[in-house]
Amino acid sequence: MSTLEVRSLHKAFGGLDVISNLNLTVPPGQRRAVIGPNGAGKTTFLNLITGWLTPTSGAVLIDGQAVATHPEEVTHAGIARSFQRNLLLEDLTVVENLRVACQAFHPCRRVFWRSKREFGDLFEQARQAAEWMHLTDILEVPVTHLSYGQKRQLEVALALCAKPKILLMDEPAAGTSPQERARLIDLINRLPKDLTILLVEHDMDVVFATCDIITVLSYGKVLATGTRRDIQEDPAVIEAYLGRRHARG
Amino acid sequence: MQVFLTQVLNGLQLSMLVYLLAAGLTLIFGLMNILNLAHGAFFTLGAYCGVAVASATGSFWLALLLGPLLPLVLGAVLQSMLLQPLAERGRSTHLDLALLTFGLLFATAGAVEWLFGSAFLAVPTPPALAGHVSLLGISYPVYRLFIIGVGLSVAAGLTFVFDRTLLGATLRAGVDDRAMVTALGVNINALFAAVFGLGAALAGLAGVIAAPLTSVYSQMGITIVVETFVVVVVGGLGNLRGSFYASLIVGMTNAMSQAYLPEVEMFAIYALLIGVMIVRPQGMFRNVERVA
Amino acid sequence: MSEEVTIARTTARDDISPAAQVRRATFVLVGSAVLGALALPWLSTSYATTLAIEIMIAAIFASGINLLVGTTGLVSLGQGMFLGLGGYGIGIGTTVLGLPLWLSVPATLVLVATLAAAIGAVCTRTRGVEFLLITLAFSQMFYGAAIKLRLTNGSDGMSGIPRPDLGLLGLNADSPVVFYYYILLVTMLAVAAVWRIAESPFGSVLAAIRESERRAAAMGYAVSSYKVGAFVVAAVTCAVAGILQSQYTYFINPDSMSWQLSGEGVLMVIIGSTTAVAGPLVGAAVFVLAKQGLSVLTTEYMLFFGIFFMLVVAFFRNGVVEAFKSAFRSKP
Repeated sequence: MSTLEVRSLHKAFGGLDVISNLNLTVPPGQRRAVIGPNGAGKTTFLNLITGWLTPTSGAVLIDGQAVATHPEEVTHAGIARSFQRNLLLEDLTVVENLRVACQAFHPCRRVFWRSKREFGDLFEQARQAAEWMHLTDILEVPVTHLSYGQKRQLEVALALCAKPKILLMDEPAAGTSPQERARLIDLINRLPKDLTILLVEHDMDVVFATCDIITVLSYGKVLATGTRRDIQEDPAVIEAYLGRRHARG
Repeated sequence: MQVFLTQVLNGLQLSMLVYLLAAGLTLIFGLMNILNLAHGAFFTLGAYCGVAVASATGSFWLALLLGPLLPLVLGAVLQSMLLQPLAERGRSTHLDLALLTFGLLFATAGAVEWLFGSAFLAVPTPPALAGHVSLLGISYPVYRLFIIGVGLSVAAGLTFVFDRTLLGATLRAGVDDRAMVTALGVNINALFAAVFGLGAALAGLAGVIAAPLTSVYSQMGITIVVETFVVVVVGGLGNLRGSFYASLIVGMTNAMSQAYLPEVEMFAIYALLIGVMIVRPQGMFRNVERVA
Repeated sequence: MSEEVTIARTTARDDISPAAQVRRATFVLVGSAVLGALALPWLSTSYATTLAIEIMIAAIFASGINLLVGTTGLVSLGQGMFLGLGGYGIGIGTTVLGLPLWLSVPATLVLVATLAAAIGAVCTRTRGVEFLLITLAFSQMFYGAAIKLRLTNGSDGMSGIPRPDLGLLGLNADSPVVFYYYILLVTMLAVAAVWRIAESPFGSVLAAIRESERRAAAMGYAVSSYKVGAFVVAAVTCAVAGILQSQYTYFINPDSMSWQLSGEGVLMVIIGSTTAVAGPLVGAAVFVLAKQGLSVLTTEYMLFFGIFFMLVVAFFRNGVVEAFKSAFRSKP
């Protein structure tokens, strides 16, 4: 059970502040959604947490410990993420994708003199990760041949292979059909309860079905944080989404 | 001091020669994302065209006019008939196209050797540009000054076209966003072919004007194109202005090492390149990150 | 990511259900190839033995390049520099420094590995065509050095490079047949070693980097150190080919570091397809035989090398092995 804490995070591109003075704490085991209008800085926010971008100032902490600044170190620190656009090892099979992902945490990862098949425990771990995301039937299929929904599931499964303390998901439901979305909601809800989750998502059905607490970003600032009802009644949020007139009325 | 001054001028002359090649290579890379390793072939073709025309007619000026013409046509044909269809077939990435043009570079060198033999040929310096002028206390060949003049004119011309004309604006837009330019109704394939032809013609021009200075042989393009690659990487792939400054740096490095440190002459510019790559892998003059 | 190299396709398809069949077929194929190779000097002419030696040396070179190009997805046009460094290494070691061969060879390989780690650290900061250009530049630098330096005897090259002394076994390596078996042994070891590396946990990280560098980093791999690792292994393998080449001809000159030679290596890899274990072997065989055939037909080698190269890249992208396989595979 781990806490994700973001302290006065700031990111400027040139003169433009994309994220300014952002503070956010996700307590252990919470499922937190981050929503916001397009351009609110959601993906930038994830990239800052995971080391793909370097913050201008501010810090990211897990259980009070500062997280390193390179993507691979962030993963080792216990934060794993999925990407908004699929980033898969397209020409390899599903099981090989998962096995390589698990291998990053295995002492054998730099071994070059023995066959990868000698490390059977990795295949076992890969199968477990596949089970979480319902991929066991298609283990031997090369990723190129998967449906889009299956690829989205694999995208999350790869992050799970890192056995993260904190899982970040960047629009897992982006581009999926209603059936695929329903399945994804179900799978996310079945993830271990002690896993802290931060979900960036546009689709409100997914957000409401999976998360307890929602943080609304707008122009790189936290507009509101609270339950579904809290934010639905928050005038600042309504204004950000619908404009000033509706906020008054 | 006089040696130094001579070397500065030599360096400038070499820079301009390399710049003519680098400008075309950079334009082609910037616009089409094709690393044309065969660029040196157009240099060779220009030079041999110059040899053929000059020996047939006795006129260097006619050679100067016709030399770039063959590369212009061949370049446009290569782009529109071979590279573009392959790129559109989707199977070939720009790395594949780079390898394809690698083959073309050697095929051209081989074809030239087959047609003209492996002897070293020469083009006489045109009488109007023969002789020396005295300049700041040294005597310097007029012809080398002529090369410097051609290079600077081309640089000025390209800068003008690029910054001030509609064609230039279209090209700049094409570098930024190819799809948008197509959406604006520009026939992008014709534009690509034209730019490829222009780049090839510049390489051909370099070949013709280099002919009276250096010997003409089948692999001359292979030698110079590697120096050109150094220039375009140092200048930042696809950056026209950067390639001008990088040409100056590379040309000067070459000329100075030739004069003062002959033992490092063959690899001074590569050491320079490696230094640049360590400090700034994206090239010295590239400020805008390419989206990977 | 458009920069992601697409030269390579699938590698590990070993867990497909008819895998046992494939494995048996492979075993039979490899077994008969080894038997055939062992019997070759007794079955055929000395000309064939000579060709076989050239093919095997080329195959080691291609295996090294394939680890970089096929497995890791880094297209280098500078691997000739390591081939040359291998030859020059033992050349300088034995003829200039007067060291015994058994010391010169490991010393050369250690030096090449060290140098490759440094060069790799610089080169792998780039990707795609920039990687191709910078590896090319490095090889041109060494090419220039080999021509300029007195140590390497300039463009004349170094001669008198010794073959191994097999006197203890009662053999003389100057005999073509004995040398053939020596090359065969080293080739089998080198190809098996490269294959083992590609199939290892380390090798699977290289494949992941080829498929998506960003994903590999997100998985938790320090991508650049793996790329440097691949660069070093490839360099050492190419240096082994260079050592054998220089022993075969008793000679090394700057041409072994030329741009064209590096290109020939990449061509062999493409011909053989980057996906198959046997790819570099097949590619080397096709290339060496084609080169021999051409030299009989014409003196214009360069013209046909260029055209051949273009045709292979344009129309034969996935290699002959892949073409062969897909011809026999019923597509689902």
